[in-house]
Amino acid sequence: MPELRRHWAAAALFGAAAVAPLLTRDGFFLDSIVLILMWGALSAAWNVAGGYAGQVSIGHASFFGIGAYAAALVTTRLQQSPFVGMVLGVVVSVGAGAVIGYLSNRLKGPYFALSTIAFSQVLLIVASRWRGLTSGSEGIPVPFRPGLWTLGLGHLAWLYVALVVAVLYYLIEVWLERSRFGYQLAGVREDEDAAEALGIASRRAKVIAVTLSAALTSIVGTLWAQYIGFVDPFYVFSVPLSVRFALNSIIGGVGTAIGPYLGSIFITSLETYLRATFSGVKTGFTGIYLILYGAVLILVVRFAPEGITGIAARVRARSLRARA
Amino acid sequence: MLALESVTKRFGGLTAVRSVSLEVRAGELLGIIGPNGAGKTTLFNVISGYYRPEEGRVVFDGRDVTGRPPHEISRLGLTRTFQIVKPFGNLSVSDNVMIGALTRLRSTHEARAEASRVIALCGLGTHASARAKALPIALRKRLEVARALATRPRLLLLDEVMAGLNPSELAGIVDLIRRVHAEGVTLIVIEHIMAAMMRLAQRIIMLHHGEKIAEGTPAEVTQDRRVIDAYLGEEFTLAEA
Repeated sequence: MPELRRHWAAAALFGAAAVAPLLTRDGFFLDSIVLILMWGALSAAWNVAGGYAGQVSIGHASFFGIGAYAAALVTTRLQQSPFVGMVLGVVVSVGAGAVIGYLSNRLKGPYFALSTIAFSQVLLIVASRWRGLTSGSEGIPVPFRPGLWTLGLGHLAWLYVALVVAVLYYLIEVWLERSRFGYQLAGVREDEDAAEALGIASRRAKVIAVTLSAALTSIVGTLWAQYIGFVDPFYVFSVPLSVRFALNSIIGGVGTAIGPYLGSIFITSLETYLRATFSGVKTGFTGIYLILYGAVLILVVRFAPEGITGIAARVRARSLRARA
Repeated sequence: MLALESVTKRFGGLTAVRSVSLEVRAGELLGIIGPNGAGKTTLFNVISGYYRPEEGRVVFDGRDVTGRPPHEISRLGLTRTFQIVKPFGNLSVSDNVMIGALTRLRSTHEARAEASRVIALCGLGTHASARAKALPIALRKRLEVARALATRPRLLLLDEVMAGLNPSELAGIVDLIRRVHAEGVTLIVIEHIMAAMMRLAQRIIMLHHGEKIAEGTPAEVTQDRRVIDAYLGEEFTLAEA
């Protein structure tokens, strides 16, 4: 089974998450796993644009926020299922994704990244000022109504919802690595002019990738709003959130299917640990986790720019050489 | 197969290509020569759709392709290589060529098989799994040709695939171009190296300051006074006299 061998890391990771509840039902522990899976899935969604298509966005919080608001508004204003909100969020995000995709054909590299930040900031202003629709900067509490259709779930059920999404997103990236479209997208990422000469409609390929990425981000945004139970415009449209989507992939290994999840395990655990250790009673240290977090990021980017998967590949190459 | 009708391309005040007309017949191997800045690459960019000409038409197989985007022109069977090579650097040689093959083939399996055939034809067999950016320049030039060939073009534009190569590498690529031509691909070759061009081309067009100043068989063109002037300078003519 060469197929399985190639995906052993993912199989081990997702398998471990699936059996974790057998070990403990501790709420904090299960919550950590849900967060790792959700952050991983969000970064995997970002990776479709930022990794596979090479369109590095720092505005993906836009789509996350659209998904979160769509769910919050549909459940509170229309008393409908959050799944209706999920669909609405995807529709709006596809539209917004097409706009960002269009921008990627006009602006390159840092200019594209800046324009995506601006896009998310515009949405932040709309969401925080349009009080009639969004309750403005107060945010929207999302009511908890027990049931699968209303996504009012316990920690255990959330773990499996998050796991299904995470596995699905992983498989989408595996498809992107071996399908015709995936290869053509890789060509566009590497060199647009050369891709065009090979008959690839490079602009269209980028728009498709960015739009897909936006839709996938929006879906997790909806789930997030239901899981956390509150939508705050200054959080869901924030730049640090967009940066985090990107960083999980960069630390794990950008443009790889497993990278976002490895990055998420690393970053989410680190943050949870630092937060728990350096806050609360020791109030003087409330912000210190941010400093350590930043230091770790700098070290990774400086010494392992290809991320965790890059380190793994180097170790494997060395052991192969040693054996030869 | 290809016809250019008084094509003009300007950049601001500079006219890079001035009213150039030419025709290429199916199965032909046409050479384009000219000093630096003569407009050779600009002409390729116009033909392959990277630039839209200000005046004139580009007709491929009876179809007006003026101003069409490069990917559409490529799918019609007209593709090109780049003078400054543009490999998909982080991908393997095999993946590079396979992406070319996917232009005509929908299945990745068939494309992989087609890629290995083209890789062998281009003498890249031992480098198939190497990262493209790790290749030395001579092999990257071959990769340009291989990737373009994998799209199964009927007309292929080769932009200085011989520049910067040593004599043995040069012989290798001349041989490759001959083989490609023998497979039935019509070729337009831009080259600086006159000696190689003399051996390869059936017909040569000389560009100078964006204008076509000479056209004919290699023997005719080298006898042309304007060609000698353009290439070697008028001083050379005076010194010779």
